[in-house]
Amino acid sequence: MPEAAAHTTQMIMGLPDSWIAVTILLAVYGLIMVERFNRAVLSLLGAGIMVLGGVITQQQAIAGIDFNTIGLLTGMMVIVAVSQKTGMFQYVAIRSAKVVKASPLGILIMLAVVTAVFSAFLDNVTTVLLIAPVTLLITDALGVHPYPYLFSQILASNIGGTATLIGDPPNIMIGSKAHLSFTDFIVQLAPIIPLILVVSLVCIWWLFGRDLAATDEAKALVMQFDEAEAIKDVPLLKKSLIVLFAVITGFTVSHALHLEPATIAMFGAAVLLLLQTWGRPLLDKDHAYEGIMAEVEWTTIFFFVGLFVVVTGVEHTGVISLLAHKTLQLTGGDMTATSSAILWVSALASSFVDNIPFVATMIPLIQNMAPTFGGHAMLEPLWWALALGACLGGNGTLIGASANLVVAGFAQRAGYPISFMQFIKHAFVMMLISVTIAQIYLYLRFL
Amino acid sequence: MQAQQIMTRKFLATTETETMGMALERMHEHRLHMLPVLAEDGTVLGVVTMFSILMRIVPNYIVTGDLESVSYAPDLGLMRRHYGELIEAPITSVTDPEPLLVKPDESLLSVAAALLAHGRHEHALVVDEQHVLLGVISAGDILANLNPPPAEAAGA
Repeated sequence: MPEAAAHTTQMIMGLPDSWIAVTILLAVYGLIMVERFNRAVLSLLGAGIMVLGGVITQQQAIAGIDFNTIGLLTGMMVIVAVSQKTGMFQYVAIRSAKVVKASPLGILIMLAVVTAVFSAFLDNVTTVLLIAPVTLLITDALGVHPYPYLFSQILASNIGGTATLIGDPPNIMIGSKAHLSFTDFIVQLAPIIPLILVVSLVCIWWLFGRDLAATDEAKALVMQFDEAEAIKDVPLLKKSLIVLFAVITGFTVSHALHLEPATIAMFGAAVLLLLQTWGRPLLDKDHAYEGIMAEVEWTTIFFFVGLFVVVTGVEHTGVISLLAHKTLQLTGGDMTATSSAILWVSALASSFVDNIPFVATMIPLIQNMAPTFGGHAMLEPLWWALALGACLGGNGTLIGASANLVVAGFAQRAGYPISFMQFIKHAFVMMLISVTIAQIYLYLRFL
Repeated sequence: MQAQQIMTRKFLATTETETMGMALERMHEHRLHMLPVLAEDGTVLGVVTMFSILMRIVPNYIVTGDLESVSYAPDLGLMRRHYGELIEAPITSVTDPEPLLVKPDESLLSVAAALLAHGRHEHALVVDEQHVLLGVISAGDILANLNPPPAEAAGA
């Protein structure tokens, strides 16, 4: 491996810098898993030690932060924070329940599809946070247990999020670093997502279908829901929909215009913030603006900042290129074997650990494989393998993705707790099935 | 003044063998907001209040704050469903198991403070050492004993 050989080991306090960098990375990973400390604080501490310890300089640290990922995430968070106030999520959820004449299975399917579509274009956590409470209202009226519904929404959220560049943080990172456009994701990755969702829903029907029955009286109660009442602010709804539509259109043409997605998202966010309070006094504007800014998940943003620096430190010491070299030795430098390995390792890892740090580490590892496969352009199957594995793997356990934890937390508060074992019993096998479908798709389409 | 001096000694109560429907009927009939739930030996198991019944009828997830608004949901329909499910349920399913218990010799100031600190009920149950119910004191009973105000009382 030429890059690894070219790297001269630097000694810090009598230890090679690679040791220090790897120790920091593993300590950050390990402490995140223990769940005793805030993950943003841990990643920023790790980043600080990386620079203070002399592994990298501050300039190198800042150069390692992917501001395209940060900008895209922040921009979309602002857009979501404004549009979630309009009640459009609730409107769509209720409307979809009524479209199927309040049939219990029909509602399960519709709400899963709605969750998947919203998750493909917006943040998964926000989507489930808004859909799950309405789901409970509907299942309550229907007189059925909410578990199959919440379970299907967790799966649908992670599956839907896999479909687009902006659907899930791993995809945002992969798209940014691998220079894959919004259209690339739609054309190359999205086509398999509907099939995975359908297969998952068939599994859910097979598992829970017999429990899904409601009386005519209960169905009539669901039909009494008034979705029009859910829309709280019609002018804001119009503004949000226009900006959302414009931003998504912007993503599809950004590559041709040589624009990065972060530019589109941030510009869209600024326009929506301007429109939101148009014509109101400055004091109102400031107040509304501060409210929206408080809803941006700064913890996630700072987590990313710290993580990028930690991974840059490890990358700088040559450890990642060494790991890439070892991986290629194991797979014999074969594209099929390498992409399969990335898909399955990513899926299993993402079932148990946060997929964001995992993907942040995998990206430079895959980039280091470019010489073996004949350049960066040839790496595309590996990027799709990483995206599919990391996103779909999140469905393996209750701790596999943030959306899972958010639904579990809500279910607990609502008096319908979801246990770790109860979830894994059904979800892990379904995750393996979805990754198998992804494997077949990768093989037929790219290999 | 001590709790036992002003407590109501004649009170209606319910036992754990009754259903929620029976208890609620009695509360409506006598215009009561609260019924103590007693075991066979007269010890206090809890209280049923209109509030504790309402808490079981309004689903938990609406109270947690996860739903910003429920204006689009059919209001009476949902509550009626839960009400219907509870009507035959044993009284213990809507009992607040932590009523405010006070001793007979407690001062009214201390009973008033305990009522405020407890926050959920307007009544304190006066019990003996074995938690056998002796009487009931409401916030209204305490206020009634403040009349006439101090100035008039001094002048009288």
